[in-house]
Amino acid sequence: MSDHQLTDEEYKAQVAGVWKVTVILSIVTVVEVAAALILGPHLPKWIMNPFYAIASIAKAFFIIGEFMHLKYEKRVFMLSLGLPLFFLLWAIIAFGIEGNYLHKLLYLIK
Amino acid sequence: MAEVLEIIEHHTHHQLPTPDNGEGGEKSPMNISYGKTMMWYFLLSDAFTFSAFLIAYACLRLGHKWWPNPNDVFNAMPFMGHHRIPMGFVSIMTFILIMSSVFVVRAVQEGHRMNKKGVMFWMIWGILGGAAFLGCQAWEWQHLLAEGMRPFYNVFHEGKDGATVLWNIHEQGKPLFSPGPVAFGALFFGITGFHGFHVFTGVCLNIWGFFATANGTFERRGHYEMIEKLGLYWHFVDLVWVFVFLAFYLM
Repeated sequence: MSDHQLTDEEYKAQVAGVWKVTVILSIVTVVEVAAALILGPHLPKWIMNPFYAIASIAKAFFIIGEFMHLKYEKRVFMLSLGLPLFFLLWAIIAFGIEGNYLHKLLYLIK
Repeated sequence: MAEVLEIIEHHTHHQLPTPDNGEGGEKSPMNISYGKTMMWYFLLSDAFTFSAFLIAYACLRLGHKWWPNPNDVFNAMPFMGHHRIPMGFVSIMTFILIMSSVFVVRAVQEGHRMNKKGVMFWMIWGILGGAAFLGCQAWEWQHLLAEGMRPFYNVFHEGKDGATVLWNIHEQGKPLFSPGPVAFGALFFGITGFHGFHVFTGVCLNIWGFFATANGTFERRGHYEMIEKLGLYWHFVDLVWVFVFLAFYLM
């Protein structure tokens, strides 16, 4: 939080920035839902799911960066929050592989 | 005596200039207040909790031979009777939560300008958005429960060619055990319930924030940092919904 008083220009720029991000988030959500309804039934899951995941992660970056104001914090603070999340990458990969293995074990191997 | 008191007051209320002895600690390296830092680290821990739930969901879903198709499960809409609109209602819920988040950002911005009326105006809208989301979720839960879904019992089972079919108790009789994957109900009610609990908590905190603003608590304090902290929590709730939406409704 900065102690200095915001000028009117800075304030207007911030407000405009927030509404811009709102529009982006809404558009990404509409695209996701439209893709799920129109392309979802025709395209395989391995194409659609990464698309949804990337769109959701993009939305997450906008929410964290602009709404939660993390974009404007110190880099070291961003890293202190971001680096622990790398453990999740391992968990997602490990449990994804395990889920696939269980699937094969239970249903594919006779 | 008065002199001593004066010295104590000086030491407790004003930071003495400290010599730079190379040990650090003279200033905050992250340039962010204690309260906001702690809110961020709490949210980080909460992110791990939600991630654990969602990763468990992904693992179980991948492990199953068949899983209910969200387009066939979540397709009811209030006031539309038996018309089926896949993803319709949940898209509205998502939009409500995004807008609610935006309103709270606006409240935080007005707080930076010390605009008490502005903070109150946008907080009201944020609270209404959160309450509307909770109402939608209550309706959705009620609808699924009416269809026969339970946390450890799933009525959506595999029909012809992997289609998602509702178990008809009148035609098919009482099933021996849950017709569809049990984990679907447990994870759906568990994760959306945990998220809904966060929304509920956030709405309560925001209501408190609104009244504290109205009472002039933050105005007297000279800053609206508390609204910023409430905002951080509220945006996190929106952030989690992005991934709940992804895991349960899109994929």
